[in-house]
Amino acid sequence: MSERAQEGRTAEGPTAGEGRTAGGGHGTGGGPGRVLVAVYGVFALAAGARAAVQIARQFDEAPLAYTLSAFAAAVYLLLAVALGRGMRRLALVACGIELAGVLIVGTLSLVDPEAFPKATVWSGFGSGYVFIPLVLPVLGLYWLSRRR
Amino acid sequence: MIGPLATGLIVFALVIALASLLTTALNKSMGTVLLVALGVLEIGLLVQAGFVVAALAAGEGPTDTATLIGYTAGTVVIPPVAAFWGVGERSRWGPAVIAVAGFAIPGMVGRMLQIWQGMG
Repeated sequence: MSERAQEGRTAEGPTAGEGRTAGGGHGTGGGPGRVLVAVYGVFALAAGARAAVQIARQFDEAPLAYTLSAFAAAVYLLLAVALGRGMRRLALVACGIELAGVLIVGTLSLVDPEAFPKATVWSGFGSGYVFIPLVLPVLGLYWLSRRR
Repeated sequence: MIGPLATGLIVFALVIALASLLTTALNKSMGTVLLVALGVLEIGLLVQAGFVVAALAAGEGPTDTATLIGYTAGTVVIPPVAAFWGVGERSRWGPAVIAVAGFAIPGMVGRMLQIWQGMG
């Protein structure tokens, strides 16, 4: 499978040497990794903005849920940066936290809905975001394991 | 907010997303067409942002102003960042980045419409 990653690099042609991101094709932010970084970026923006609005306007309504939303946004941002710059270990840890978060919060939100009166990105295993929050960490871990 | 403009932007963004996916599937890197389309989308989103801001300044619009502004800012920021990030990757995964943006924009504009109509 690593051949496909190689193919992506050769397609870079003469510009391959420029590699703005650390390592370019070598790192975790090249090839398909670019797409992963883009998705994490969008989620960091969406979850972050949403959490900021919620915390600023109605924090008292659901402090736990809103704090978790902000935490999730921070993890997404961390992952976008870590993957984009090829910080493998940091990305691995963040992916683990993300997977644990979505599984724990997802389960809790179903078992004890009253603890989460307001939805977070991770509620119901990310059902409000077409389960992308559940798929993302798995994809991330898979991608990291391939780019060893 | 203008319904037809928002609808047009949603459809256009989806077309860009599908064209990008097709480019990725055909194993091609970013072309000028995709970049120009992204530029046109950005102009449309800026126009929409202008209308939103103007309406809010005139005291119109929904009660949930903060969220609306957040989404408006998000839609304006995403296309340029996606273009920047996609062009840097000279492989099939460049257009795939554009596809991510192309799918994110309709979702955000859709949410803006909902908030505008007081459903959000």
